Amino acid sequence: MQFGIFSVGDVTPDPTTGREPTEHERIKAMVTIARKAEEVGLDVFATGEHHNPPFVPSSPTTMLGYIAARTERLILSTSTTLITTNDPVKIAEDFAMLQHLADGRVDLMMGRGNTGPVYPWFGQDIRQGIPLAVENYALLHRLWREDVVDWQGRFRTPLQGFTSTPRPLDGVPPFVWHGSIRSPEIAEQAAYYGDGFFANHIFWPTDHFRRLIDLYRRRYEHYGHGTAEQAIVGLGGQVFIRPNSQDAVREFRPYFDNAPVYGHGPSLEDFMAQTPLTVGSPQQVIDRTLTFREHFGDYQRQLFLTDHAGLPLKTVLEQLDLLGEQVIPVLRSEFAARRAAEVPAAPTHASLRAAKEAAMAVDPNELTDDTGELVTS
Amino acid sequence: MRTEPTRIVVVTAGVSNPSSTRVLADELAAATRRRLDAAGVAVAVEVIELRELAHALVDNLLTGFPNAPLKRAIEQVTGADGLIAVTPICTASYSALFKAFFDVLDAGAIVGLPVLIGATGGTERHSLALDHALRPLLSYLRALVVPTGVYAASTDFGARGGDTAGLARRIDRAAEEFATLVRNLPRTPVTDPYQDVVSFAELLPGRAG
Repeated sequence: MQFGIFSVGDVTPDPTTGREPTEHERIKAMVTIARKAEEVGLDVFATGEHHNPPFVPSSPTTMLGYIAARTERLILSTSTTLITTNDPVKIAEDFAMLQHLADGRVDLMMGRGNTGPVYPWFGQDIRQGIPLAVENYALLHRLWREDVVDWQGRFRTPLQGFTSTPRPLDGVPPFVWHGSIRSPEIAEQAAYYGDGFFANHIFWPTDHFRRLIDLYRRRYEHYGHGTAEQAIVGLGGQVFIRPNSQDAVREFRPYFDNAPVYGHGPSLEDFMAQTPLTVGSPQQVIDRTLTFREHFGDYQRQLFLTDHAGLPLKTVLEQLDLLGEQVIPVLRSEFAARRAAEVPAAPTHASLRAAKEAAMAVDPNELTDDTGELVTS
Repeated sequence: MRTEPTRIVVVTAGVSNPSSTRVLADELAAATRRRLDAAGVAVAVEVIELRELAHALVDNLLTGFPNAPLKRAIEQVTGADGLIAVTPICTASYSALFKAFFDVLDAGAIVGLPVLIGATGGTERHSLALDHALRPLLSYLRALVVPTGVYAASTDFGARGGDTAGLARRIDRAAEEFATLVRNLPRTPVTDPYQDVVSFAELLPGRAG
């Protein structure tokens, strides 16, 4: 099982001091947080993508490329990459390039984006969100798997004899997760391709996400990728940890009360009861996180939100220390002990390459369409 | 033969206790029950006081999801055979509390649902708010609003110079229309988007298979 963090990349004033970081400070802080994630033994760092203030990460592969150069082991991902407003051709190119630079330590999560004004800035319309996500991803999927693509669709100029460069590292496209808060269509899309499904989880109640994940698992099996239990599921989570739970609640409350998205709404206690938010001791975070498996079945990736709502960098780094020292090691062994034997781990570049090579050894002809290069190597 | 009683759900947005809005809602429900009883239809009436859900409604507007009590209320309404919706008129329209409840329903949640609308106010000068505010709101949601809406002002409840018989007649007429619609329009079950999947072949025609 993989553990990591995902960042929204918001620039929010610290409600306890009124101090607002500059964009430069926030961008550098995200890099520091990513490096710290590797240092404390986490597996994944994922950045959001936004094109409006108060968010900084408009250019994820630039940021992830830089982080790739400063880390050794960390998997670099997104949460999410906007499949609706980005040109799928540019996504194919950017992430293949990142994959080469990071020696395969790359995957990505597709999302639609729910900020209405962003769509027209990129020539699109939010009311076409689902059709855009479906068509654009169908093209992206081909661009990474076919060397020469002829293509025509509703939302983009046609392609004739187009080759997306560079080709994916080792002929293995980056693993793709599809992220969603509420759309059954996106769960269906993930199931159709046999891709991963990531449930944001943090903003809505568990029973809602159980229905969404159950749908994905059922349809993953329907499309013949494996059993429902073997489907590739990722979950969000949100934690604030102090050794003593009362201290955690006292310190986090002003950040919660003023947070973007849910601030000035439900009480911290209500929100903790209704969503996976856990503010408390390391043991409380461990106990709560283990309940996710009971709700959703064995899953492959757990990402925590730790750095939003104006929390100062120093506090976030302390959170990562607590996660790395006291929470994740316990979760790793507990999840491993509980996991059913036939449930796979999260796909990585190495595992996907090995699977491809194994498939080639069985039937090399099957792969000649895909990447002639691999067949001859 | 249907085995379950016909479910009439009452949504009332009065905030005082006792509330004249609740009184009107109860009278509309009682008149409806009499009509359905007379027709041999078993009736279950459930009342939702929006005041009890006030915080939950604002939280839902901010977070995008209902807490458990609000979720139950929404399910009561979307699963009803008929809805009686009553609000005080505030500043020339339905109250914010009333509107908040309809704002958190999914767009298709009450399509085809028979609805009886009612409103209360200090003076009868606001009575057209029923037709200028409540009716368009419910038409937008594609509910079936019966022609007679019932407005009750202080005079209707017996203030000096008032005429309570007029209110009683309007309640009877509205209940007759509502009961007739409820009896003749069995609701089709709401589809569950997480069970009834739109297959990928429909999402991207020509691709899947």
